[in-house]
Amino acid sequence: MFHDRARYQSSRGYQLAPLRFSRLDDARYIATNDVGEYVVMPREELVEFISHSLPANRPTYKALKSRHFLFDEHSRVALELLALKYRTRAEQLANFTGLHIFVVTLRCDHSCAYCQVSRQAEGRLEFDMSQEHADRALDFMFRGPSPTLKVEFQGGEPLLHFERIRYIVERAKALNQVHGRDLQFVIASNLSRLTTEVLDFCREHGVLLSTSLDGPEDLHNAQRPVRGGDSHQRTLDAIRRARQALGPDAISALMTTTQASLGRVEDIIDEYVRQGFHSIFLRNLSPYGFAVRPRASRPYDVEAWVEFYKRGLAHILRINEQGYPLQEEFTAILMQKIFSPRGSNYVDLQSPAGLGIGALVYNYDGAVYASDEGRMLAEMGDFSFRLGHLSRDSYESIMTSETLLAHLSDTMPEGVPMCSDCAFLPCCGADPVFHQATLKDAVGHKAFSAFCKKQMSVLRHLIGLLEDDARARDILMGWR
Amino acid sequence: MTTKDTQTQPPFIFRDGAVQAVLDLRVYRLAAIQKSAYRFAERCTAVLGSPDADRIPVRFAFPPAITEQDALETVRLFFQELLDQELREQVGDETRALRALIVAQAFSRTDLIRQD
Repeated sequence: MFHDRARYQSSRGYQLAPLRFSRLDDARYIATNDVGEYVVMPREELVEFISHSLPANRPTYKALKSRHFLFDEHSRVALELLALKYRTRAEQLANFTGLHIFVVTLRCDHSCAYCQVSRQAEGRLEFDMSQEHADRALDFMFRGPSPTLKVEFQGGEPLLHFERIRYIVERAKALNQVHGRDLQFVIASNLSRLTTEVLDFCREHGVLLSTSLDGPEDLHNAQRPVRGGDSHQRTLDAIRRARQALGPDAISALMTTTQASLGRVEDIIDEYVRQGFHSIFLRNLSPYGFAVRPRASRPYDVEAWVEFYKRGLAHILRINEQGYPLQEEFTAILMQKIFSPRGSNYVDLQSPAGLGIGALVYNYDGAVYASDEGRMLAEMGDFSFRLGHLSRDSYESIMTSETLLAHLSDTMPEGVPMCSDCAFLPCCGADPVFHQATLKDAVGHKAFSAFCKKQMSVLRHLIGLLEDDARARDILMGWR
Repeated sequence: MTTKDTQTQPPFIFRDGAVQAVLDLRVYRLAAIQKSAYRFAERCTAVLGSPDADRIPVRFAFPPAITEQDALETVRLFFQELLDQELREQVGDETRALRALIVAQAFSRTDLIRQD
């Protein structure tokens, strides 16, 4: 088992370290390694490098050596450094399940065509979470080892069941007197029921708000119908009141890209700037819930969204150059994945997938799901990601269930065909629910995967900007 | 139907919605051929035949609507991909043991490398 260091030295000038490479564009290739470093080079140099004939005085040689792609006789601590960086990236796995989503009701007062959760009418109280289920979910939450616990309230419209939110927050804080975790609370709401009582409560308990803002008034109102047809105005009024009561950073907004949004990315971004936001998440439509009903929303292909994203990112970079700080959140997550020693905690881009170990979802009816998208898929009749039930199953039986462990085992891209030799693997992850929904297989053949196409396109574009556009690089490096 | 310009295109023949080729296993490893075929699955189905000595027949079957030009371009790209896969096999062969060592070192409290 123990060998001399010399055993691992190559007799051919230098030793290759583990790496993956992919075509970046027509002229260049990108090589990456397991600790997230990358080097871009023409194919001729890649062949020279792999053939052990890259001269040591070449800038690419120096870049490859300094980023642990090769070891030569002067690389005294390279192996240890690689191992340390690898361990740092994997460390967060030990502190699993930092996000706990409480679906306190499925009732909603909006009727958005792209709704992913199959909302229910306002009066249907049978779609509310019971106190008994809330207590069991809180017990589950504190059983996990994560020192940071984020409680996210989802719906439906969660403020329609504000009493349950109040109960869960107060109970969680009381229990935390013993557990001593770093507790955070977020309500994901359309804000239509943002009363003074709710704001006072949020201020008292440090609860943050997250809302939906799909763009300018006409687009937002068309996509988010509500009685009175004035969802946009109501949302802006509520944002203003929330900022006054809780502070400017206590509320964030999310948008969803529909067919109607595709040609209007600049309008959407400008609306975010007009409303004083400093971040925007250019989110594509997910293939779950009401969003995939044939008459509800017109689907679009991934290429259309990628063009939308590229135009949007260019517009955001221009806005930054003009002096207004504005961050695109998906890009920021990828920048963290590329450059941060710890990667990113973003649940949808993890290896293994963030199922259960990234997030647990407690549905209104007591069902426990491995992810928010998993419960959305269940609304369509596919229960692949249902882990158990709060009334019948223990924390141990759910976290060691064959359903969860099999999914985690299957969703390590390091062992998945095409992913295993893809240069973008360290910046990517598995999205088993997406693949289950679109390809009827949680791993999915990546040659047919829209997720893979999206990731490859966005990452190629991003690396291209970092390599070729100094002004863009300066801005993007600030988003890490 | 044959290629229009055999000077610039590889000498493949597109017939009945497919292109036939024979690959030399002394040049391309079987794993590289299989991985290329997997990666191209959306564009064509590469049916690998039984190897005969150092050669393996491959039939590229295309969807019905494809043109001859697009089919031949796909085959050209397949051979480019094959070169990349062959390089990846080389990297894999050379670094497999080292990758295992690094992972072991990362997750072990023991120093697996003798420091003297």
